Amino acid sequence: MLHGVRGIYLREVLILRHKLLKTMLASAVSPALFLLAFGYGVGRSVQVAGSDYLSFLLPGLLTMTSMNQAYGIATEINISRFYFKVFEEYLLAPIKRWEIILGETCYGITKGFIPVLIIGLYSLLTGVSLNFGPLFLLSLLLHLTIFALFGFIAAMIVKNHADQATINAFLITPMMFLSGTFFPVEKMPLAIRVVASIFPLTYSTQLIRATLTPGAEVNYWLFAVLLLILGILFMIAKRIVTKVEI
Amino acid sequence: MSCAEVTSCNERPCEIEVVGLSRSFGKTVAVDRIDFRVGRGELFAFLGPNGAGKTTTINMLTGLLKPDNGKVLYHGELFDPKRLTVKQLIGVVPQHNNLDPELTAAENLLIHGRLFGMRGKQLQERIATCLNFADLTAKRDIQAGKLSGGMKRKLVIARALLHHPEVLFLDEPTVGLDPHSRRKMWAFLRRINQEQNCTVFLTTHYIEEADTLADRVLIIDQAKLVTGGTPEQLKAAVGNYVLDIYNEEEIQNEFFQTRPAALQRLEQLDTSVRIRETTLEDVFLKLTGKRIEP
Repeated sequence: MLHGVRGIYLREVLILRHKLLKTMLASAVSPALFLLAFGYGVGRSVQVAGSDYLSFLLPGLLTMTSMNQAYGIATEINISRFYFKVFEEYLLAPIKRWEIILGETCYGITKGFIPVLIIGLYSLLTGVSLNFGPLFLLSLLLHLTIFALFGFIAAMIVKNHADQATINAFLITPMMFLSGTFFPVEKMPLAIRVVASIFPLTYSTQLIRATLTPGAEVNYWLFAVLLLILGILFMIAKRIVTKVEI
Repeated sequence: MSCAEVTSCNERPCEIEVVGLSRSFGKTVAVDRIDFRVGRGELFAFLGPNGAGKTTTINMLTGLLKPDNGKVLYHGELFDPKRLTVKQLIGVVPQHNNLDPELTAAENLLIHGRLFGMRGKQLQERIATCLNFADLTAKRDIQAGKLSGGMKRKLVIARALLHHPEVLFLDEPTVGLDPHSRRKMWAFLRRINQEQNCTVFLTTHYIEEADTLADRVLIIDQAKLVTGGTPEQLKAAVGNYVLDIYNEEEIQNEFFQTRPAALQRLEQLDTSVRIRETTLEDVFLKLTGKRIEP
Protein backbone atom coordinates (compact mmCIF):
# COMPACT_ATOMS: atom_id res chain seq x y z
CA MET A 1 0.00 0.00 0.00
CA LEU A 2 1.37 3.41 -1.03
CA HIS A 3 4.69 1.89 -2.10
CA GLY A 4 4.67 4.31 -5.02
CA VAL A 5 4.49 7.31 -2.68
CA ARG A 6 7.25 5.89 -0.50
CA GLY A 7 9.44 4.96 -3.47
CA ILE A 8 9.19 8.38 -5.11
CA TYR A 9 9.71 10.19 -1.81
CA LEU A 10 12.74 8.04 -1.02
CA ARG A 11 14.25 8.79 -4.43
CA GLU A 12 13.82 12.52 -3.99
CA VAL A 13 15.16 12.51 -0.45
CA LEU A 14 18.22 10.46 -1.46
CA ILE A 15 18.96 13.02 -4.17
CA LEU A 16 18.31 15.91 -1.78
CA ARG A 17 20.86 14.37 0.59
CA HIS A 18 23.52 14.92 -2.07
CA LYS A 19 22.70 18.62 -2.46
CA LEU A 20 21.45 19.49 1.02
CA LEU A 21 24.14 22.05 1.71
CA LYS A 22 23.52 23.79 -1.62
CA THR A 23 19.76 23.86 -0.95
CA MET A 24 20.29 25.25 2.56
CA LEU A 25 22.61 27.97 1.31
CA ALA A 26 20.16 28.91 -1.45
CA SER A 27 17.41 29.13 1.16
CA ALA A 28 19.60 31.26 3.43
CA VAL A 29 21.05 33.81 1.01
CA SER A 30 17.91 35.25 -0.55
CA PRO A 31 16.03 36.04 2.72
CA ALA A 32 19.26 37.38 4.23
CA LEU A 33 19.56 39.87 1.37
CA PHE A 34 15.92 40.90 1.67
CA LEU A 35 16.40 41.29 5.43
CA LEU A 36 19.40 43.53 4.89
CA ALA A 37 17.85 45.57 2.09
CA PHE A 38 14.31 45.96 3.40
CA GLY A 39 14.49 44.97 7.05
CA TYR A 40 17.43 47.10 8.11
CA GLY A 41 16.83 49.66 5.38
CA VAL A 42 13.36 50.43 6.68
CA GLY A 43 14.22 49.22 10.18
CA ARG A 44 12.24 48.82 13.33
CA SER A 45 11.31 52.48 13.38
CA VAL A 46 8.53 52.09 10.83
CA GLN A 47 5.26 50.58 11.99
CA VAL A 48 3.47 48.29 9.51
CA ALA A 49 0.10 46.69 10.27
CA GLY A 50 0.50 47.34 13.97
CA SER A 51 4.07 46.05 14.39
CA ASP A 52 7.59 47.10 13.48
CA TYR A 53 8.63 46.38 9.88
CA LEU A 54 11.15 43.66 10.75
CA SER A 55 8.49 41.67 12.64
CA PHE A 56 6.20 42.13 9.65
CA LEU A 57 8.86 41.16 7.14
CA LEU A 58 10.22 37.93 8.67
CA PRO A 59 6.96 35.91 8.36
CA GLY A 60 6.64 37.21 4.80
CA LEU A 61 10.14 36.04 4.00
CA LEU A 62 9.31 32.67 5.51
CA THR A 63 6.26 32.19 3.26
CA MET A 64 8.15 33.43 0.22
CA THR A 65 11.26 31.25 0.62
CA SER A 66 9.32 28.16 1.67
CA MET A 67 7.03 28.67 -1.33
CA ASN A 68 10.09 28.89 -3.57
CA GLN A 69 11.46 25.61 -2.24
CA ALA A 70 8.14 23.73 -2.41
CA TYR A 71 7.34 25.09 -5.87
CA GLY A 72 10.98 24.44 -6.88
CA ILE A 73 10.17 20.73 -7.34
CA ALA A 74 8.81 21.82 -10.74
CA THR A 75 12.33 22.35 -12.05
CA GLU A 76 13.54 19.07 -10.57
CA ILE A 77 10.62 17.12 -12.04
CA ASN A 78 11.30 18.82 -15.34
CA ILE A 79 14.92 17.74 -15.32
CA SER A 80 14.03 14.18 -14.36
CA ARG A 81 11.29 14.13 -17.01
CA PHE A 82 12.93 15.78 -20.00
CA TYR A 83 16.63 15.30 -19.36
CA PHE A 84 17.22 12.15 -17.29
CA LYS A 85 13.88 10.59 -18.32
CA VAL A 86 13.53 9.10 -14.83
CA PHE A 87 9.83 10.02 -14.83
CA GLU A 88 9.27 7.07 -17.19
CA GLU A 89 10.16 4.78 -14.31
CA TYR A 90 7.14 6.09 -12.41
CA LEU A 91 4.85 5.62 -15.40
CA LEU A 92 6.06 2.04 -15.90
CA ALA A 93 5.81 1.05 -12.23
CA PRO A 94 2.70 -0.71 -10.90
CA ILE A 95 1.57 2.36 -8.98
CA LYS A 96 -1.47 4.61 -9.22
CA ARG A 97 -0.89 7.94 -10.92
CA TRP A 98 -2.07 9.86 -7.83
CA GLU A 99 0.77 8.20 -5.89
CA ILE A 100 3.19 10.15 -8.10
CA ILE A 101 1.46 13.39 -7.08
CA LEU A 102 1.58 12.44 -3.41
CA GLY A 103 5.22 11.32 -3.47
CA GLU A 104 6.38 14.51 -5.17
CA THR A 105 4.19 16.70 -2.97
CA CYS A 106 5.62 15.11 0.20
CA TYR A 107 9.06 15.91 -1.15
CA GLY A 108 8.04 19.52 -1.86
CA ILE A 109 6.79 19.82 1.72
CA THR A 110 10.07 18.43 3.04
CA LYS A 111 12.06 20.92 0.99
CA GLY A 112 9.80 23.74 2.10
CA PHE A 113 10.71 23.09 5.74
CA ILE A 114 14.39 23.93 5.13
CA PRO A 115 13.91 27.73 4.88
CA VAL A 116 11.61 27.61 7.90
CA LEU A 117 14.57 26.46 10.00
CA ILE A 118 16.71 29.22 8.52
CA ILE A 119 14.13 31.95 9.13
CA GLY A 120 13.80 30.59 12.68
CA LEU A 121 17.53 31.17 13.07
CA TYR A 122 17.22 34.69 11.60
CA SER A 123 14.45 35.49 14.07
CA LEU A 124 16.82 34.58 16.91
CA LEU A 125 19.60 36.69 15.39
CA THR A 126 17.37 39.73 14.81
CA GLY A 127 15.53 39.35 18.13
CA VAL A 128 12.14 39.12 16.44
CA SER A 129 9.80 36.95 18.49
CA LEU A 130 7.95 34.33 16.42
CA ASN A 131 5.46 31.78 17.70
CA PHE A 132 6.23 28.39 16.06
CA GLY A 133 3.10 26.73 17.49
CA PRO A 134 0.73 24.02 16.19
CA LEU A 135 -1.48 26.52 14.33
CA PHE A 136 1.58 27.80 12.50
CA LEU A 137 2.62 24.23 11.62
CA LEU A 138 -0.85 23.47 10.28
CA SER A 139 -0.94 26.62 8.16
CA LEU A 140 2.62 25.97 6.96
CA LEU A 141 1.65 22.43 5.95
CA LEU A 142 -1.29 23.72 3.90
CA HIS A 143 0.90 26.42 2.36
CA LEU A 144 3.66 23.97 1.37
CA THR A 145 1.20 21.38 0.05
CA ILE A 146 -0.44 24.00 -2.17
CA PHE A 147 2.83 25.19 -3.68
CA ALA A 148 4.26 21.70 -4.09
CA LEU A 149 1.07 20.80 -5.99
CA PHE A 150 1.43 23.98 -7.96
CA GLY A 151 4.99 23.00 -8.86
CA PHE A 152 3.86 19.51 -9.85
CA ILE A 153 1.14 20.86 -12.13
CA ALA A 154 3.56 23.34 -13.71
CA ALA A 155 6.04 20.52 -14.37
CA MET A 156 3.35 18.41 -16.01
CA ILE A 157 1.97 21.09 -18.33
CA VAL A 158 5.22 22.55 -19.62
CA LYS A 159 6.79 21.10 -22.73
CA ASN A 160 10.36 22.21 -22.02
CA HIS A 161 12.57 24.19 -19.61
CA ALA A 162 11.82 27.49 -21.34
CA ASP A 163 8.10 27.13 -20.58
CA GLN A 164 9.03 26.70 -16.93
CA ALA A 165 10.89 30.03 -16.94
CA THR A 166 7.83 31.70 -18.47
CA ILE A 167 5.60 30.45 -15.64
CA ASN A 168 8.12 31.71 -13.12
CA ALA A 169 8.30 35.13 -14.76
CA PHE A 170 4.57 35.68 -15.18
CA LEU A 171 3.19 33.95 -12.12
CA ILE A 172 5.67 33.15 -9.37
CA THR A 173 7.62 36.43 -9.34
CA PRO A 174 4.52 38.68 -9.32
CA MET A 175 3.01 36.45 -6.63
CA MET A 176 6.15 36.86 -4.50
CA PHE A 177 5.97 40.65 -4.56
CA LEU A 178 2.23 41.32 -4.62
CA SER A 179 0.90 38.87 -2.04
CA GLY A 180 1.73 40.79 1.11
CA THR A 181 5.14 39.29 1.75
CA PHE A 182 6.98 42.65 1.82
CA PHE A 183 4.14 45.14 2.22
CA PRO A 184 0.53 44.84 3.39
CA VAL A 185 -1.86 44.13 0.51
CA GLU A 186 -4.32 46.65 2.02
CA LYS A 187 -1.86 49.47 1.26
CA MET A 188 -1.68 48.55 -2.42
CA PRO A 189 -3.78 50.18 -5.20
CA LEU A 190 -7.13 48.56 -5.96
CA ALA A 191 -5.93 46.88 -9.19
CA ILE A 192 -3.09 45.16 -7.35
CA ARG A 193 -5.42 44.17 -4.49
CA VAL A 194 -7.67 42.46 -7.05
CA VAL A 195 -4.72 40.62 -8.58
CA ALA A 196 -3.43 39.66 -5.12
CA SER A 197 -6.81 38.18 -4.22
CA ILE A 198 -6.29 35.57 -6.98
CA PHE A 199 -2.93 34.44 -5.59
CA PRO A 200 -2.98 31.64 -3.01
CA LEU A 201 0.17 33.12 -1.48
CA THR A 202 -1.89 36.13 -0.31
CA TYR A 203 -4.01 33.87 1.91
CA SER A 204 -1.19 31.66 3.17
CA THR A 205 0.93 34.73 3.96
CA GLN A 206 -1.93 36.26 5.96
CA LEU A 207 -2.49 33.03 7.87
CA ILE A 208 1.16 32.24 8.51
CA ARG A 209 1.89 35.80 9.61
CA ALA A 210 -1.06 35.74 12.00
CA THR A 211 -0.11 32.34 13.48
CA LEU A 212 3.55 33.33 13.80
CA THR A 213 3.05 36.74 15.36
CA PRO A 214 2.42 36.51 19.12
CA GLY A 215 -0.94 37.97 20.07
CA ALA A 216 -2.15 38.41 16.47
CA GLU A 217 -5.74 37.53 15.64
CA VAL A 218 -6.07 34.41 13.43
CA ASN A 219 -8.79 34.36 10.78
CA TYR A 220 -9.81 30.69 10.83
CA TRP A 221 -11.70 31.01 7.55
CA LEU A 222 -8.33 31.21 5.87
CA PHE A 223 -7.76 27.52 6.73
CA ALA A 224 -10.93 26.71 4.80
CA VAL A 225 -9.80 28.88 1.87
CA LEU A 226 -6.41 27.14 1.73
CA LEU A 227 -8.04 23.70 2.02
CA LEU A 228 -10.31 24.56 -0.86
CA ILE A 229 -7.38 25.73 -3.01
CA LEU A 230 -5.48 22.54 -2.09
CA GLY A 231 -8.43 20.35 -3.08
CA ILE A 232 -8.83 22.12 -6.43
CA LEU A 233 -5.11 21.87 -7.19
CA PHE A 234 -5.05 18.16 -6.32
CA MET A 235 -7.95 17.48 -8.67
CA ILE A 236 -6.22 19.42 -11.46
CA ALA A 237 -2.96 17.54 -10.83
CA LYS A 238 -4.78 14.19 -10.86
CA ARG A 239 -6.53 15.02 -14.10
CA ILE A 240 -3.29 16.05 -15.77
CA VAL A 241 -1.15 13.16 -14.54
CA THR A 242 -3.77 10.61 -15.61
CA LYS A 243 -3.38 11.80 -19.20
CA VAL A 244 0.40 12.10 -19.18
CA GLU A 245 2.24 10.06 -21.80
CA ILE A 246 5.98 10.04 -22.28
CA MET B 1 1.13 -9.30 -43.49
CA SER B 2 1.51 -12.32 -45.62
CA CYS B 3 4.03 -14.35 -43.66
CA ALA B 4 2.30 -16.94 -41.52
CA GLU B 5 5.21 -17.18 -39.08
CA VAL B 6 4.64 -13.62 -37.95
CA THR B 7 1.37 -14.39 -36.28
CA SER B 8 2.40 -17.72 -34.81
CA CYS B 9 4.22 -18.11 -31.51
CA ASN B 10 6.98 -20.32 -32.84
CA GLU B 11 5.31 -23.37 -31.24
CA ARG B 12 5.39 -21.81 -27.77
CA PRO B 13 2.59 -20.68 -25.47
CA CYS B 14 1.58 -17.18 -26.48
CA GLU B 15 2.90 -14.45 -24.16
CA ILE B 16 1.99 -11.30 -26.09
CA GLU B 17 -0.60 -10.89 -28.81
CA VAL B 18 -0.90 -7.66 -30.76
CA VAL B 19 -3.97 -7.05 -32.90
CA GLY B 20 -4.43 -4.13 -35.30
CA LEU B 21 -2.26 -1.79 -33.24
CA SER B 22 -2.06 1.79 -34.55
CA ARG B 23 -0.80 5.12 -33.30
CA SER B 24 -0.45 8.51 -34.94
CA PHE B 25 1.14 11.76 -33.81
CA GLY B 26 -0.79 14.50 -35.55
CA LYS B 27 -0.79 13.60 -39.21
CA THR B 28 2.19 11.27 -38.90
CA VAL B 29 1.27 7.60 -38.68
CA ALA B 30 3.89 6.01 -36.41
CA VAL B 31 2.42 2.50 -36.27
CA ASP B 32 -0.15 1.28 -38.75
CA ARG B 33 -2.39 -1.68 -37.91
CA ILE B 34 0.25 -4.21 -36.94
CA ASP B 35 -0.44 -7.76 -35.78
CA PHE B 36 1.98 -10.24 -34.24
CA ARG B 37 2.49 -12.66 -31.41
CA VAL B 38 5.43 -13.37 -29.13
CA GLY B 39 5.86 -16.82 -27.59
CA ARG B 40 6.83 -17.48 -23.97
CA GLY B 41 10.62 -17.55 -23.59
CA GLU B 42 11.34 -16.29 -27.09
CA LEU B 43 14.11 -13.89 -27.93
CA PHE B 44 12.20 -11.73 -30.33
CA ALA B 45 13.71 -8.94 -32.42
CA PHE B 46 11.83 -6.05 -33.95
CA LEU B 47 14.06 -4.91 -36.80
CA GLY B 48 13.71 -1.74 -38.77
CA PRO B 49 15.34 1.56 -39.67
CA ASN B 50 15.18 4.60 -37.41
CA GLY B 51 11.68 6.09 -37.43
CA ALA B 52 10.04 2.84 -38.55
CA GLY B 53 7.75 2.68 -35.48
CA LYS B 54 9.69 0.32 -33.19
CA THR B 55 9.84 2.55 -30.12
CA THR B 56 6.22 3.62 -30.48
CA THR B 57 5.24 -0.05 -30.57
CA ILE B 58 7.22 -0.82 -27.41
CA ASN B 59 5.72 2.22 -25.70
CA MET B 60 2.23 0.94 -26.48
CA LEU B 61 3.10 -2.58 -25.32
CA THR B 62 4.35 -1.22 -21.99
CA GLY B 63 1.55 1.28 -21.38
CA LEU B 64 3.60 4.43 -21.89
CA LEU B 65 1.49 5.36 -24.91
CA LYS B 66 -2.15 4.68 -25.59
CA PRO B 67 -2.92 3.08 -28.97
CA ASP B 68 -5.35 4.90 -31.25
CA ASN B 69 -6.67 1.55 -32.39
CA GLY B 70 -6.08 -2.13 -31.79
CA LYS B 71 -5.28 -4.10 -28.68
CA VAL B 72 -2.51 -5.81 -26.78
CA LEU B 73 -3.05 -9.04 -24.87
CA TYR B 74 -0.79 -10.64 -22.28
CA HIS B 75 -1.54 -14.35 -21.74
CA GLY B 76 -4.76 -13.78 -23.68
CA GLU B 77 -5.94 -11.01 -21.35
CA LEU B 78 -6.47 -7.48 -22.62
CA PHE B 79 -3.65 -5.20 -21.49
CA ASP B 80 -4.92 -2.30 -19.45
CA PRO B 81 -2.08 -0.23 -17.95
CA LYS B 82 -4.43 0.77 -15.11
CA ARG B 83 -4.40 -2.86 -13.97
CA LEU B 84 -1.24 -2.73 -11.94
CA THR B 85 -0.67 -6.50 -11.73
CA VAL B 86 0.05 -6.64 -15.47
CA LYS B 87 2.81 -4.08 -15.05
CA GLN B 88 4.57 -6.47 -12.67
CA LEU B 89 5.09 -8.80 -15.66
CA ILE B 90 6.98 -6.18 -17.64
CA GLY B 91 10.56 -4.96 -17.45
CA VAL B 92 11.61 -2.11 -19.71
CA VAL B 93 15.04 -0.99 -20.88
CA PRO B 94 14.54 2.27 -22.78
CA GLN B 95 16.76 3.49 -25.56
CA HIS B 96 18.35 6.10 -23.28
CA ASN B 97 19.97 5.28 -19.94
CA ASN B 98 17.33 6.77 -17.64
CA LEU B 99 19.30 6.31 -14.45
CA ASP B 100 19.55 8.81 -11.63
CA PRO B 101 23.16 9.91 -12.12
CA GLU B 102 23.47 11.24 -8.56
CA LEU B 103 22.35 7.95 -6.99
CA THR B 104 24.64 4.95 -6.67
CA ALA B 105 24.13 1.79 -8.70
CA ALA B 106 22.54 0.07 -5.67
CA GLU B 107 20.32 3.07 -4.89
CA ASN B 108 19.01 3.11 -8.46
CA LEU B 109 17.95 -0.50 -8.01
CA LEU B 110 16.59 0.21 -4.53
CA ILE B 111 14.22 2.90 -5.84
CA HIS B 112 13.04 0.62 -8.64
CA GLY B 113 12.40 -2.18 -6.16
CA ARG B 114 10.42 0.11 -3.86
CA LEU B 115 8.30 1.32 -6.79
CA PHE B 116 7.52 -2.32 -7.54
CA GLY B 117 6.50 -3.01 -3.94
CA MET B 118 9.67 -4.85 -2.88
CA ARG B 119 11.30 -4.12 0.44
CA GLY B 120 13.47 -5.37 3.27
CA LYS B 121 15.76 -8.37 3.05
CA GLN B 122 14.09 -9.71 -0.10
CA LEU B 123 14.87 -6.46 -1.91
CA GLN B 124 18.45 -6.26 -0.65
CA GLU B 125 19.13 -9.85 -1.74
CA ARG B 126 17.62 -9.23 -5.14
CA ILE B 127 19.71 -6.07 -5.60
CA ALA B 128 22.85 -8.09 -4.80
CA THR B 129 21.79 -10.85 -7.22
CA CYS B 130 21.05 -8.45 -10.08
CA LEU B 131 24.25 -6.48 -9.59
CA ASN B 132 26.18 -9.75 -9.55
CA PHE B 133 24.40 -10.97 -12.68
CA ALA B 134 25.40 -7.75 -14.44
CA ASP B 135 29.00 -7.94 -13.12
CA LEU B 136 28.46 -4.69 -11.24
CA THR B 137 28.90 -5.85 -7.64
CA ALA B 138 32.15 -3.91 -7.34
CA LYS B 139 30.37 -0.77 -8.56
CA ARG B 140 27.36 -0.92 -6.24
CA ASP B 141 28.33 2.22 -4.30
CA ILE B 142 29.53 4.22 -7.31
CA GLN B 143 27.25 6.99 -8.57
CA ALA B 144 25.52 5.88 -11.78
CA GLY B 145 26.68 9.02 -13.56
CA LYS B 146 30.29 7.95 -13.09
CA LEU B 147 29.91 4.51 -14.72
CA SER B 148 31.04 3.79 -18.27
CA GLY B 149 28.49 3.63 -21.10
CA GLY B 150 28.48 -0.17 -21.13
CA MET B 151 28.12 -0.37 -17.35
CA LYS B 152 25.25 2.11 -17.37
CA ARG B 153 23.52 0.00 -19.99
CA LYS B 154 23.99 -3.14 -17.90
CA LEU B 155 22.72 -1.32 -14.82
CA VAL B 156 19.55 -0.26 -16.63
CA ILE B 157 19.04 -3.90 -17.65
CA ALA B 158 19.77 -5.15 -14.11
CA ARG B 159 17.22 -2.65 -12.82
CA ALA B 160 14.61 -3.87 -15.32
CA LEU B 161 15.20 -7.47 -14.15
CA LEU B 162 14.95 -6.64 -10.45
CA HIS B 163 11.24 -7.38 -10.01
CA HIS B 164 11.40 -10.74 -11.87
CA PRO B 165 9.59 -9.65 -15.04
CA GLU B 166 8.26 -12.31 -17.41
CA VAL B 167 8.89 -10.11 -20.42
CA LEU B 168 11.87 -7.83 -20.87
CA PHE B 169 11.52 -5.07 -23.46
CA LEU B 170 14.78 -3.59 -24.70
CA ASP B 171 14.69 -0.61 -27.02
CA GLU B 172 17.89 -0.51 -29.07
CA PRO B 173 19.95 -2.06 -26.24
CA THR B 174 23.32 -1.69 -27.94
CA VAL B 175 23.03 1.79 -29.41
CA GLY B 176 26.11 3.84 -28.55
CA LEU B 177 28.22 0.82 -27.60
CA ASP B 178 31.47 0.00 -29.34
CA PRO B 179 31.60 -3.32 -31.31
CA HIS B 180 33.37 -5.17 -28.46
CA SER B 181 30.86 -4.01 -25.83
CA ARG B 182 28.03 -4.78 -28.23
CA ARG B 183 29.11 -8.42 -28.52
CA LYS B 184 29.42 -8.71 -24.75
CA MET B 185 25.92 -7.27 -24.46
CA TRP B 186 24.58 -9.91 -26.86
CA ALA B 187 26.01 -12.66 -24.66
CA PHE B 188 24.45 -10.93 -21.64
CA LEU B 189 21.03 -10.79 -23.31
CA ARG B 190 21.26 -14.49 -24.22
CA ARG B 191 22.03 -15.25 -20.57
CA ILE B 192 19.01 -13.23 -19.47
CA ASN B 193 16.80 -15.13 -21.88
CA GLN B 194 18.09 -18.52 -20.75
CA GLU B 195 19.00 -18.10 -17.07
CA GLN B 196 16.28 -15.66 -15.99
CA ASN B 197 13.60 -17.56 -17.94
CA CYS B 198 12.58 -14.28 -19.49
CA THR B 199 10.90 -13.51 -22.79
CA VAL B 200 13.08 -10.91 -24.48
CA PHE B 201 11.59 -8.42 -26.92
CA LEU B 202 14.19 -6.15 -28.41
CA THR B 203 14.14 -3.51 -31.07
CA THR B 204 17.18 -2.89 -33.20
CA HIS B 205 18.30 -1.36 -36.44
CA TYR B 206 21.45 -3.49 -36.44
CA ILE B 207 21.04 -6.37 -38.88
CA GLU B 208 23.77 -8.46 -37.28
CA GLU B 209 22.18 -8.07 -33.85
CA ALA B 210 18.84 -9.44 -34.99
CA ASP B 211 20.51 -12.19 -37.02
CA THR B 212 22.85 -13.33 -34.24
CA LEU B 213 20.54 -13.01 -31.28
CA ALA B 214 16.93 -13.54 -32.22
CA ASP B 215 14.87 -16.70 -32.33
CA ARG B 216 12.43 -14.78 -34.48
CA VAL B 217 12.62 -11.46 -36.30
CA LEU B 218 9.84 -9.11 -37.27
CA ILE B 219 10.73 -6.49 -39.85
CA ILE B 220 8.99 -3.11 -39.75
CA ASP B 221 9.29 -0.20 -42.14
CA GLN B 222 7.34 3.05 -42.40
CA ALA B 223 4.93 2.03 -39.63
CA LYS B 224 3.94 -1.24 -41.30
CA LEU B 225 5.12 -4.83 -40.81
CA VAL B 226 7.06 -6.10 -43.79
CA THR B 227 7.64 -9.73 -42.89
CA GLY B 228 8.59 -12.01 -40.03
CA GLY B 229 9.97 -15.40 -39.09
CA THR B 230 13.20 -17.01 -37.92
CA PRO B 231 16.30 -15.50 -39.56
CA GLU B 232 16.71 -18.73 -41.54
CA GLN B 233 13.09 -18.64 -42.75
CA LEU B 234 13.38 -15.01 -43.81
CA LYS B 235 16.54 -15.66 -45.77
CA ALA B 236 15.14 -18.84 -47.33
CA ALA B 237 12.04 -16.92 -48.42
CA VAL B 238 14.11 -14.69 -50.70
CA GLY B 239 16.85 -17.26 -51.46
CA ASN B 240 19.73 -18.53 -49.34
CA TYR B 241 22.44 -17.35 -51.76
CA VAL B 242 22.88 -14.04 -53.43
CA LEU B 243 24.96 -12.86 -56.34
CA ASP B 244 26.29 -9.32 -56.14
CA ILE B 245 26.56 -8.28 -59.76
CA TYR B 246 28.74 -5.21 -60.13
CA ASN B 247 27.42 -3.05 -62.94
CA GLU B 248 28.90 0.30 -63.88
CA GLU B 249 26.78 2.38 -61.50
CA GLU B 250 25.19 -0.05 -59.06
CA ILE B 251 25.28 -3.49 -57.52
CA GLN B 252 22.48 -5.70 -58.71
CA ASN B 253 21.38 -8.70 -56.59
CA GLU B 254 20.03 -12.03 -57.75
CA PHE B 255 18.81 -14.63 -55.23
CA PHE B 256 19.04 -18.45 -55.42
CA GLN B 257 17.89 -21.20 -53.12
CA THR B 258 21.01 -23.35 -53.61
CA ARG B 259 24.69 -22.64 -54.13
CA PRO B 260 24.90 -24.73 -57.36
CA ALA B 261 22.06 -22.68 -58.85
CA ALA B 262 23.90 -19.48 -57.99
CA LEU B 263 27.16 -20.85 -59.43
CA GLN B 264 25.40 -21.85 -62.62
CA ARG B 265 24.11 -18.29 -63.06
CA LEU B 266 27.54 -16.90 -62.18
CA GLU B 267 29.11 -18.80 -65.10
CA GLN B 268 26.69 -17.08 -67.49
CA LEU B 269 27.77 -13.61 -66.42
CA ASP B 270 30.79 -11.78 -67.82
CA THR B 271 30.82 -8.87 -65.35
CA SER B 272 32.39 -8.76 -61.88
CA VAL B 273 30.32 -10.98 -59.57
CA ARG B 274 30.49 -12.10 -55.93
CA ILE B 275 28.61 -15.06 -54.46
CA ARG B 276 27.68 -15.03 -50.77
CA GLU B 277 25.05 -16.17 -48.25
CA THR B 278 21.94 -14.03 -47.90
CA THR B 279 21.73 -11.67 -44.91
CA LEU B 280 18.75 -9.99 -43.28
CA GLU B 281 19.93 -6.77 -44.92
CA ASP B 282 19.33 -8.47 -48.29
CA VAL B 283 15.87 -9.54 -47.12
CA PHE B 284 15.06 -5.97 -46.14
CA LEU B 285 16.47 -4.58 -49.36
CA LYS B 286 14.56 -7.08 -51.48
CA LEU B 287 11.25 -6.40 -49.74
CA THR B 288 11.46 -2.62 -49.30
CA GLY B 289 13.90 -1.53 -51.98
CA LYS B 290 16.18 0.22 -49.47
CA ARG B 291 18.81 -0.53 -46.84
CA ILE B 292 18.24 -0.46 -43.06
CA GLU B 293 21.58 0.83 -41.92
CA PRO B 294 22.83 4.12 -43.34
